[in-house]
Amino acid sequence: MSHHHHDHTHEHAHEEVEGSWRDAQDDRPLSVARRRFLAGLGAAGVATTMGALPAHAHGDRPATPVNPWHGRGRWFAGDHHIHTKYSNDAQYEVAQQVAKAREHGLDWVVITDHGGVAHEKFSIDQVAPDIERARKSHRDVLVYQGLEWNIPGAEHATVFLPPGRSTVDILRAFEAAYDGGVLSTPVANGGKGLLTRSTSADGEPYALAALRFLEAQVLSGRTEIALMFANHPARRGVDSPHEFRGWRDAAPGVAVGMEGAPGHQAAGIPTSAGGRGAARGLYDASPNQDSFPGFAPTATENPYRTYGGFDWMTAKVGGLWDSLLAEGRPWWVTATSDSHRVHLDTHKQGTGDHNTTGSRGAPIDTGVPQVESDYWPGFYSSTLVGADSKSYVDVMRGMQGGKVVAVHGRIVDGLNLRVRSLGEGDNRGVTIGGRTFVRRGHDVEVVIEVDLARGANFAGVVPRLAKVDLIAGPITGPVADRDAFSAPGTSVVKSFEVARTARGTVKFTHTFRRVEGAFYLRLRGSDGNRLTSDGNPVMDVIGDADPWSDLWFYANPVFVDVI
Amino acid sequence: MPWLGAVPALPGEHGAAHVDAVLLEALDGVAADFVCTHVDRLGPVAVTTLSAHVTGEVDVARLAEALGGPVVVLDDSGAPDSPAARAATAGRDRADGRCVRFPGQSALTGTHPAAEVVAVSAIDRVVGIGVAVAPADRVETLGFLRPVCRGGELLLLVEPAVGGVLRPAEAESPHECCGGH
Repeated sequence: MSHHHHDHTHEHAHEEVEGSWRDAQDDRPLSVARRRFLAGLGAAGVATTMGALPAHAHGDRPATPVNPWHGRGRWFAGDHHIHTKYSNDAQYEVAQQVAKAREHGLDWVVITDHGGVAHEKFSIDQVAPDIERARKSHRDVLVYQGLEWNIPGAEHATVFLPPGRSTVDILRAFEAAYDGGVLSTPVANGGKGLLTRSTSADGEPYALAALRFLEAQVLSGRTEIALMFANHPARRGVDSPHEFRGWRDAAPGVAVGMEGAPGHQAAGIPTSAGGRGAARGLYDASPNQDSFPGFAPTATENPYRTYGGFDWMTAKVGGLWDSLLAEGRPWWVTATSDSHRVHLDTHKQGTGDHNTTGSRGAPIDTGVPQVESDYWPGFYSSTLVGADSKSYVDVMRGMQGGKVVAVHGRIVDGLNLRVRSLGEGDNRGVTIGGRTFVRRGHDVEVVIEVDLARGANFAGVVPRLAKVDLIAGPITGPVADRDAFSAPGTSVVKSFEVARTARGTVKFTHTFRRVEGAFYLRLRGSDGNRLTSDGNPVMDVIGDADPWSDLWFYANPVFVDVI
Repeated sequence: MPWLGAVPALPGEHGAAHVDAVLLEALDGVAADFVCTHVDRLGPVAVTTLSAHVTGEVDVARLAEALGGPVVVLDDSGAPDSPAARAATAGRDRADGRCVRFPGQSALTGTHPAAEVVAVSAIDRVVGIGVAVAPADRVETLGFLRPVCRGGELLLLVEPAVGGVLRPAEAESPHECCGGH
C-alpha cells in the first residue's frame, strides 16, 4: 500500500509556508500560533495538503482518491501507549517493554510516560538515552519517543514523533508549555499554576495551542511528522464532543484519532479466575464536575464502561465516533496496552521517589506472580498499520492516513478492504482510511478479505471470527452543534457470517446500488461470544470480564464522495 | 423548612467520595435530611455546588465558614440568581444532582431487594442500565449509595455485577488514574 500521495502533497505544504515568518528555532508556542495565523494557514488549508478535507468541501471538483488500493499491503503491528519506570504508577525498564513487545510480535512501539512536573524536569533526559539503547539492541522494532500528555481540559493523549535531531527538544518544549499537569500544578510545587484543574475547561485553549505548536514543528521542518491520539477517551467523560472537533480542526495533520479500545484489558478478569476483579479497561468511573453533561449513565447505556472491551465512543453504532465520521471528518481508532504493571508478572515497582528523581528505579522481581490489570505490549491489543515500509516515518504516515485496524486477542491477522465505483468514478478504488468517489446514481462495490488467525493468540487459543459487520451512514457535513455525538443515519447494513470451517482468508462482497449521496462505511468483527440481541457488543460487567472470551476488531472507515 | 445552596471550597482533584466526606463534615451539627452535590457550568470553569434540605435551625454564617464559600437560603422572596441559589433550586426540584444524604439511606447498607430500596428510602426508582429490574432483584449497596436527581425523581442507577446481583453505577473508590492528574 502506497501513500505516495501524502509524500507528494506534504512537499506542497512546505512550499506554502515558505516565508520570512518561518524560524525553526523559535518554538515559543504563542508566537508559532500567531505566525501561522498571519501566514493565512487556516485549518482547511492544511487539511487539503493532508488529503483530509471533508467530502462536502470538495464542491463540484472531481475528488482525488486517498489511500488508493494497491492490492494486498503489509500490516505492521504496534502499540502507541506504553509506560515505564518513568511513570509514577508504572515500573518497567524501557528495554523490558521493548523486548516484551518484540516477543509478542510488535513491529513498533511508542514509549508514553505520563506528563507532569517531575517527568518534564527529570524523566525526559533519562528516557531518551534508554530509548536510544533499546533501538540499538532491538533493531527490528521501531521505538518511538512519546509522551502521555495530560490534555489541558481533557483526558490523556499519546503524542509522539519520529527520531530526529529536534525530537527531544520538541517534546520537552511541548510538555513544559502545554501539559495539563504542569499547567495546573501550583507554582509552589513546580508547576505553572495557570489552570484550575488539569481537566477543567479553562485548559481548552491551551490544548488547541499545543496541537498548533506541534503542527508548526512539522510545517517548519523541525520534524517530519507528529501525531496525537486521544487515550481512554470516555473513561471519565471529560473529552467533550466539541473538544475532539476542536483538536482535529486545530491540527488536522497531528490530531488524528483516539483509542478505540483502552488498555488495562486484564483488569476485568474475575477474582475467581485469579484476576483483579476490577472493571475491564479500569473503566469504573462516574461523571465528575469536568465531565461532559451529555455523557450520563441512563437506563440504556453507561458511557463510562467498556463494551466488548472497546470504549463506548467507538463501540456504539451511531455514537460519538460515527458522529465525527458522518461529518466527513477523518478520525481513526486504535487499540493499545497502556501497559504499566503486567498481570501475573513477578515484578513490582521499584522504590525510587518519582517526585524528586523522575523514576521509580529498577523494578523488583518478587518471584511471585502479581495480580494486576495490564498485559505486555502485543499480548492482547494490537494496532495494525498499513505502511509502505517498516520505517519510522512510513508507519506514522500510515497512522495519519487511517490505514489502521484495532485488534484484540488476534481475532484477525489482517484485512484487505477495497471500495470502488463500478460505474463512472474511481474504479481502482481505495482501502482503509481512504476516500473514493462515484458518479451519482452509480454502484459502489465493497470487497472485504479477512485474514483469519493463522495460529494461537497469547491465551493459547486459535480465535475464531464469527462475523463481520459492515456499518455505513450518510455524510451529512459539518454539524451545527459542535457537541453533537450521535449519527442517527448510521447503522449495520450487513452482517457476514464466517463459516465455522473457514481457514486462511475469507472474502465478502457487498454492493451499494445507485448511490445518491456521499456516505462512509467501516467494518468491525467479533468472535460472537457476547452479543446483544441486535448484534452489538455487551457492556462489560465489572469484575466479570474475561477479555479472551469477547474479542473484536474495528477497522477505520472509507469515505465515498458523490460527483 | 428551607432549602439552602452553597458553593463550597473544595480540595484539589480528589475523588467524589472524598469530597462528600468533606461536605458532610462541614454540615455536621446542621439538621439536613437531603443533601446533594451539583455541578454549575455557567462560569468558565465547572464548580461543584451543594444543596441541602434543612429540618432545623441553621447558622448560615457558621455554615458558610465551614464550607468556605457562600450559602444562600431559598425563601419566598426569591434569592437573586447565583450558583448557590441554582443549586438550592435544583435540589428542591430534584432536577439534577447526586444525592449524598437522603431519608432511608442508613437502612440500605447491605444487599436488598430492589422493592425494599424503594420502600424504605426516598429513592423513587431503581433503574437498571441495559437491564430490567424486577422487585426481587438484589441490589448490593456495598454501603455506598449515591442516587441521582433527574426530572423530579430520585433514581438509583444500577448495573449487573458479579454473583447475579446489581450494584450502584457509582462506586465509592473508582480507579484513581496515574497518581492524581
